[in-house]
Amino acid sequence: MKILLFLLMTILALCPTVSAETLEERVKNLENALNRQEQIIREQQKKIEQLSGQKEQIQTEVIQTTGVDSREKERSAVRDYRLDDRSKAIAMQSASPISPYQITEKQTPSLLNPSISLIFDSLYYQTNLSEEELEEREIPGYVALHEHGEGSHSHGHGTFEKGFNLRSAELTIFAPVDPYFNLYATIPFTEDGSEVEEAYFVTTSLPAGLQIKGGKFKSGFGRFNAFHPHAWDFVDAPLPYTAFLGGEGLIEKGIQFTYLPPLPVYTLLGFEILQGENEVLYGEEAKSGPHAYTGFAKMSLDFGEYNTILWGISVTGGETKTESIEHETEFSGNSVLYGAELTYKWKPSKDRSLILQSEYLLRHQTGDFEYLEDSTVDSLKRTQDGLYLQGLYQIDRWRIGARYDVLSIFKDTYKLAGEEEDFGDNPYRLTGSLEFNPTEFSRLRLQYTYDKSAGNGKENNEIFLQLILGIGAHGAHSF
Amino acid sequence: MIKKIALCIVFVFMFMGTAFGELRVVVTLPWIGSLVNEIGKYRVHLDVIVKATQDPHFVEAKPSMILAVRKADVLMYNGLDLEIGYLPVLIESSRNQKIQSGMAGNVDCSRYVKVIDHPDKVDRSMGDVHPFGNPHYHFSPKNIERVAAGITEVLSRLDTGNADFFRKNMAVFSSKLHGKESAWKAKHFHGKKVIAYHKLFEYLAADFGLTISGYVEPKPGIPPSVAYIGRLIEKMKEERIHTVITTSLYPRKEVDFIADKTGARVIVLPHDVGSMPEIVDWFTLMDTVLTRLQ
Repeated sequence: MKILLFLLMTILALCPTVSAETLEERVKNLENALNRQEQIIREQQKKIEQLSGQKEQIQTEVIQTTGVDSREKERSAVRDYRLDDRSKAIAMQSASPISPYQITEKQTPSLLNPSISLIFDSLYYQTNLSEEELEEREIPGYVALHEHGEGSHSHGHGTFEKGFNLRSAELTIFAPVDPYFNLYATIPFTEDGSEVEEAYFVTTSLPAGLQIKGGKFKSGFGRFNAFHPHAWDFVDAPLPYTAFLGGEGLIEKGIQFTYLPPLPVYTLLGFEILQGENEVLYGEEAKSGPHAYTGFAKMSLDFGEYNTILWGISVTGGETKTESIEHETEFSGNSVLYGAELTYKWKPSKDRSLILQSEYLLRHQTGDFEYLEDSTVDSLKRTQDGLYLQGLYQIDRWRIGARYDVLSIFKDTYKLAGEEEDFGDNPYRLTGSLEFNPTEFSRLRLQYTYDKSAGNGKENNEIFLQLILGIGAHGAHSF
Repeated sequence: MIKKIALCIVFVFMFMGTAFGELRVVVTLPWIGSLVNEIGKYRVHLDVIVKATQDPHFVEAKPSMILAVRKADVLMYNGLDLEIGYLPVLIESSRNQKIQSGMAGNVDCSRYVKVIDHPDKVDRSMGDVHPFGNPHYHFSPKNIERVAAGITEVLSRLDTGNADFFRKNMAVFSSKLHGKESAWKAKHFHGKKVIAYHKLFEYLAADFGLTISGYVEPKPGIPPSVAYIGRLIEKMKEERIHTVITTSLYPRKEVDFIADKTGARVIVLPHDVGSMPEIVDWFTLMDTVLTRLQ
């Protein structure tokens, strides 16, 4: 109001055409205006002095109550002053009907940036096989690990070069979009470039325990599937996953619906509609449009304070067109993959834990098997299964692990043109690992694998020395 | 027919849990549960998801916790990033819009607290430093009174029918606290020097005149090396520090070694409500801490 008046007066004063006032009168008006301005300045100065007086008072109060060195005192005093406004606000609010949760938090600019983390995953690899033998390696009757050389260096794939490997530097970005969505993106950078491994939203405000996830994401199928390679319990994926889904698992574009009912026992139900592009199970060219569906149910119970078990069943199915079974062949038809999982965790303290985990996968496929060289087609019907069993025991910063993974354990039929094919011994592997985890952001792992997955082919003795380091935002870990 | 039954089951699930009038309060740490008990008493349904035997820095998001948060009307937590390793997962996986960040049912108790130890510059080479300041404010009566007042306001707002009941309980809590405070003040430590295992007792030190001269951990969350322990022992001898304070969560090996070399007394303090059988609420927690420190 004062400012308005002042402006008005100035305009009036400066306006020479307002009236036929004398010069003296105009000077007087100007003087008046200046006086008013001065008065305003004086009032403001007074207020500033008052405020800084309050600040000092609070600082001295704080210094009296703390027993730390003087620099620290000064710093904390300034901090406390800043925060004191908050407690004042609270005090005010106890009197007024405004709720405490409307207090504005101390804003830092970083709060508006998304959380970003980078995870470095590198390893040294040694084996008794030659580079050539490695290239040609396959699991006969299941999967050719390097179909036409493509994807052989892809992130998380079960094959490595002898010597030093940079598996990836994985960038993860996440933040709430608004009160309705959270957004996540995982972009691993490799020597061959980068790909968007995952980019998806998750709803946060649907009612009744419902949630929708959409974009490109790791399917809720099974247990192992949800984890990124740097969070795996061993360097590589277990055989059933490699054989039925490829080394990276089921990552698809699509939409996921989950429901968490308010039962006495944790139960999660989920359904997914997927594009169906997994190169081993489905294939990009199987059909245009979404052609794969996934359903899963998971339950968990605690026993006592330290024991938790988690179990579940999953199924995914759809149309398939893949060149992954054998070199120079193409299969087109239908696939269904069933999964059953069981995890037990014992964690009496942060320094000790035991995790036992197992998954059983069974895949059924029927369709046409085409030899690309001469275009001959045979019918193929195969029902195969696989299992892994693993245990990890942690003491302080050390952890030891063991894993047994095997294919064709209960079920192994492979009927080409009605005839049963024999691919020799059941593929299996034995793995042992030793980890040292200096902090939760660093992990050094030594792993040995005896790999007999090539049927009657050569066995592979593998040694890995892996280093994983994470910087940036502290990601929360799921169970 | 099957569809109809399935639909019915889904509806029953949807309305279970919301059918009862009691406010469902889920808290992370036991001491927050103790405050909610003081204010809400039998008129709220309380779930505490972290056990007193757990180190609050290293809690894992169990599915049972997700389920508890799923059913919550209010989620109250310590804040200052203490729960960063599991709470974001619980909140998102709970599929419960009431307790999402920014909602009325999402209560960060640290917003009522005068935070100390706010680092000017922080990176992980300094160890597991909390970038928003020291989160262990539950040893500070002044701050706890404010937190309790905050809890009262939240509960009163979400359950207006019981608002008077909650406010009355808060008044009782306040007067009990003020009564205790004079007794506690008598236990002022006048700058007594101690070595602590972790940066857990800074608020206690500030409120009761304790001087924490050093830590068994060289950096928060980093276990000590032999050389570091050696230097610490020398420092203790030089500065005549005769007390080492720790909790049952931290390893005893280094602490006992230091005590053996310096003749210092080791005091094991409870870190939270329920960590010792006699500690049934926040008041007995403070009583025990201050008595043991004498």
